[in-house]
Amino acid sequence: MKGQYAALLAAAAALLVLPLGLTDFWIFIAIEVLAFALYAVSFNVLLGYGGMLSFGHAAFFGVGGYTAALVARQSAVAPELAFACLPVIAMLVSAAAALVIGFFAVRRSGIYFAMLTFAFQMLLYTIALKATPLTGGDDGLTGLKPPGALAQPLPYYYFALLMAGAGLYVLHCVVNSPFGYMLRALRASALRVQHLGVNVRAHRLAAFVVSGAFAGLAGAIFALSNGNIFPGWLDWTASATPVVMAVLGGTASFLGPALGAAVYVVLEVLISGRTEYWPLAMGVIIVILILLMPEGLTGLWRVARRAGIRAAPLPTREAR
Amino acid sequence: MSGPILRVESLVKRFGGLHALSGVDLAVEEGEFRAIIGPNGAGKSTFFNALTGLLRPNSGRITFEGRDITGEPPHRVARRGVARTFQITSVFPDLSALENVQVALLAHARRSWSLWPQARTLGTARARELLALVGLATSAAKPAGALAHGDQKRLELAIALAGKPRLLLLDEPTAGMAAQERLETIRLVHRIARELGLSCVFTEHDMTVVFAVATRITVLHQGRVLAEGTPAEVRARPEVQQVYLGEAA
Repeated sequence: MKGQYAALLAAAAALLVLPLGLTDFWIFIAIEVLAFALYAVSFNVLLGYGGMLSFGHAAFFGVGGYTAALVARQSAVAPELAFACLPVIAMLVSAAAALVIGFFAVRRSGIYFAMLTFAFQMLLYTIALKATPLTGGDDGLTGLKPPGALAQPLPYYYFALLMAGAGLYVLHCVVNSPFGYMLRALRASALRVQHLGVNVRAHRLAAFVVSGAFAGLAGAIFALSNGNIFPGWLDWTASATPVVMAVLGGTASFLGPALGAAVYVVLEVLISGRTEYWPLAMGVIIVILILLMPEGLTGLWRVARRAGIRAAPLPTREAR
Repeated sequence: MSGPILRVESLVKRFGGLHALSGVDLAVEEGEFRAIIGPNGAGKSTFFNALTGLLRPNSGRITFEGRDITGEPPHRVARRGVARTFQITSVFPDLSALENVQVALLAHARRSWSLWPQARTLGTARARELLALVGLATSAAKPAGALAHGDQKRLELAIALAGKPRLLLLDEPTAGMAAQERLETIRLVHRIARELGLSCVFTEHDMTVVFAVATRITVLHQGRVLAEGTPAEVRARPEVQQVYLGEAA
């Protein structure tokens, strides 16, 4: 427990000083990592804890991004005020989208749940593509800029760090709360949980809404850093991204998907700078990593423990 | 309270053309330890599933403590004080034994929606008591999936007891156990039910187990009640011997 706090403090300190040594380009990449870390962890609240594989999570990332863009472009209220309310608005709109989609999706499980989320996300993609007056159609919404000093990479990095950090903290509380325990139990046996007097469908829906809201916050952080949002962020490939990140980092660990996001984003930058065939190289690397580490990066220490490679006694599940 | 704790009247459940239950009547008095026996396919599991709301009966009526619970969803039935265990053991394998019981306690305390405080320390004292009650005190920290089969069955019993039920429905509580362990397990259930003042209905294939503890026995055959009575009465009925006891012997 103490060791975990120390590690967490060290990580927080590292994230605070990290951008001071980086060029603007890499600060931009660091912001992307923060946004995708939150996106991947919010996705994994469903997969790793609730046992629900959403294959349409880009719906909420995209809705959050588009909402942020629309709020940033409006001219009714002062940009500073609009920006201050933006995270909350993006989360509320994404949560509303998740409530509607989830209402139908949580009635099914497994592959049917995945297909329903996928279908709804493609529906939103089509809307983003066709509702040109609102969404800019194929061209998307461009020229987005946070107000004042936040338009600079370094201040925006700290803003993104604050938002992603707060988001991760809230999600961490959720998965360790009594509600979070119900989710973990649900993943193992919805039937058993039902017979303990718990309304399974309502709990699944609540988890879906929470997950969608924070995916939306991630989308908002990302859109304003990028300066634009395109329908592509509502496309199915954007839904596959958090799946890969979560599996790469390890779905059994809370921060695993965040680590997966960091590795994924940095790999993508490094490889795409060297070859135009970078998706091919990424694919090969990810296949190899997942084959070598079936429990993800964070699963390595569990594998090591099972193999008997342990320097000092590790805390039991109970003590954690 | 007067009258039976559980009353079932002309319960019918059809799956397409198959009559899984064709008019089952049953009354369980408070404090009873009722065995439901019958050959495979007699409708025992369907009966349990209909009682607990997992299956909606086509007709008939189920009353628990005088209240009509026919057609209520499983979580409502559970909240009224009806707990059940499953024929195929149903614990949460990747949670520890302690966490398994904690989940059940939290559900019973209507805290399944709580986001605060963290669940790790909630209900641990009571959860440990329940684990001790079923003889799993030393296995609290083990993942439930790593427990031996019999221990998982006992863990499921602890989970069921966490909800402070007044009626316990056990679907083959000794399935998959060796003969000696079967007897020990059913005697444990019997002792706990007595101590806590629970009524209990269980299905069972092993006649030694049934006759060891049952106060009354209901024989289901082809979706109907073939016979009912005390163990001695049921044992004496020729038609029971023919369809069931004869087959088992």
